[in-house]
Amino acid sequence: MNSRQSRHLAFAGLFIVVTVTMLLNISIVATVSNETKQMFDYLDGLPERSNIIVSFDHEASSLPEMKPLGLVILRHLFAKDHNLIGVALLAEGTGVGYRLMQETAKEYNKEYGRDYVFLGFKPQFIAAILSMGESIGGTFPEDYLGNTTSEIELLSDIHNYDDVAAVVSLADGSLTTHWIEYGNEKYGVQVSAAVAASMLTTYDPYISSGQLKAMVGGLRGAAEYENLLGIGGSGARSMLAQSSAHLYIILLIIIGNVTYFRSRKKG
Amino acid sequence: MARLFPQIICGFFGVVLFVLYFLKAPSAKSLYLTITSDYWQIIFAFALLVGVASFIRVNIKKLSKLSESPYVITGLLGLFAMPVMALLWGIKGDSPFMWVFENVQVPLQATVFALLAFFVASASLRGFKARSLPATILLVSALIALLSRSDIFGWFGNSALEFSEWVRSYPSMSARRGILIGIGLGSVTTSLRVILGIERTWLGKDR
Repeated sequence: MNSRQSRHLAFAGLFIVVTVTMLLNISIVATVSNETKQMFDYLDGLPERSNIIVSFDHEASSLPEMKPLGLVILRHLFAKDHNLIGVALLAEGTGVGYRLMQETAKEYNKEYGRDYVFLGFKPQFIAAILSMGESIGGTFPEDYLGNTTSEIELLSDIHNYDDVAAVVSLADGSLTTHWIEYGNEKYGVQVSAAVAASMLTTYDPYISSGQLKAMVGGLRGAAEYENLLGIGGSGARSMLAQSSAHLYIILLIIIGNVTYFRSRKKG
Repeated sequence: MARLFPQIICGFFGVVLFVLYFLKAPSAKSLYLTITSDYWQIIFAFALLVGVASFIRVNIKKLSKLSESPYVITGLLGLFAMPVMALLWGIKGDSPFMWVFENVQVPLQATVFALLAFFVASASLRGFKARSLPATILLVSALIALLSRSDIFGWFGNSALEFSEWVRSYPSMSARRGILIGIGLGSVTTSLRVILGIERTWLGKDR
C-alpha cells in the first residue's frame, strides 16, 4: 500500500467511525472533572437574580462544540433565575447568541426585557469591553432588536460592571483573555469561561492565578455539565462520536509507529 | 511630511490613551468612552471599507481566469447578497439573512473546520513517530491526554483524567506562563517602539 492509499484509508476510516457513532445516538454519562465541578459550583453559588453578562465570543465554525456548552450554561443560569445580558464580541456570535438565548428562555418561561436582553454585536472587542466598563447603555444605545436600552426594564439599574456579578465568556479563541485583561483587571468584574477544548491549556494560568474564576471546556465539559444539571443534551450525545474518533486517532498513531519500527528494523 | 504626520498622530494617541487608561476623573473617563466607543468604531468602519474594496479589486482581476471564475463569482455574490438581504429584510429572527447564515455559512465553516480532523488522522499515521526520547514523551503524553478527553462507558476510569490534569497543571502550565510573559514583554516593547517612532514598518516598506 503506498502512502496515498494509506492516507485515503485513514480518511475513510475516520468518516465511518464518526458517522456510525453519530447514527447510534447513544448518550454517554461523563465522569465529572474537578474543573467542570468548580465552574458549576461557582455559577451555582451566585446570589439569586444576579446580573450576569453572557458574551458569545465565538465563530460559526466551532458551533458544534460551542452550542452544547452555551446551552448548558444558559440553562443553568436561567434555572437559577439570574438576569442575563447577552452580548457578542464577534460578528458571527450575534445570530447564534440571540437564537440560543431566545430558545433557552422559552424553556424557562423567561420574558425578554425583564429577565434577559440581547444587546448584539459591537466591533473592536477591546474597545467594547473597556467602553462597557464606563457605560453599558452608552456602548449599546440600542439592543439587538432595536429597542432603546435606556427604556429596557432589566437595564434600568445596570449601568456598568459595578452592577454586574459575573461575565461568562463563551469563546473558541483568545477573547476571554481580553475579558480578563480589561474587564477583570481594570474594572474588577469576575470572569468565567466556557471554551473550546483546544483553548483549555491557554487559560490554565489564569485559573491558577485566580483571574479567571472557573472554566469548563469542550464537548466533554458540556457532557459533564449536563450530568451535573441532571439533564440530557447534545454534549452527552456527541461524546460517543468524539471519544471513538479519539480512539481511532490513537489506533492510527500505534499503526504508524509499528510500521515505522518494522521498516527501521529491516534497514 | 507623509512620514512624519502619521507618526505624530500615532504617538499622540498612544500617549493620550495610555494616560486616560489610568485616570479616574469624570472628564477623562468621558473622553476615554468617546474614543473607545465612537472614534474606534469609525476607524473600524473605514478599515472595513478598505477590506471590501480590496476584496472586490482582487476578485475582479481573477475573473478573467476561467478555472477560478466560479469561486470568484460565488464570493462576490455572497459579498453583495448579504448586505442587500440585511437592508431589505433586516438581520433578526427568521429573516432571509439569518436563514443564509444558519443554513449556508454555519455548515460551510463547520465543514472547513472539521476537515482538520482528517489532517490530524493523516498526520497521526504518517508523522507522529517515537523517533527519540523527547518525541516518545510527547507521544505518550498526547495519547493519555486524548484518552482523558474520551469517556466510553468509563473504560479508562479516572487515572487518565488525573494524569492529564497533572500534565496541564505542571509541565504545560509552566511553558504556557513563559510564553505569556514573553508575549507581554514583547507587546510592551513593540508598543513603546511604535509610540516613540522607532518602529516604522507599519508605515509601509518605502517609509
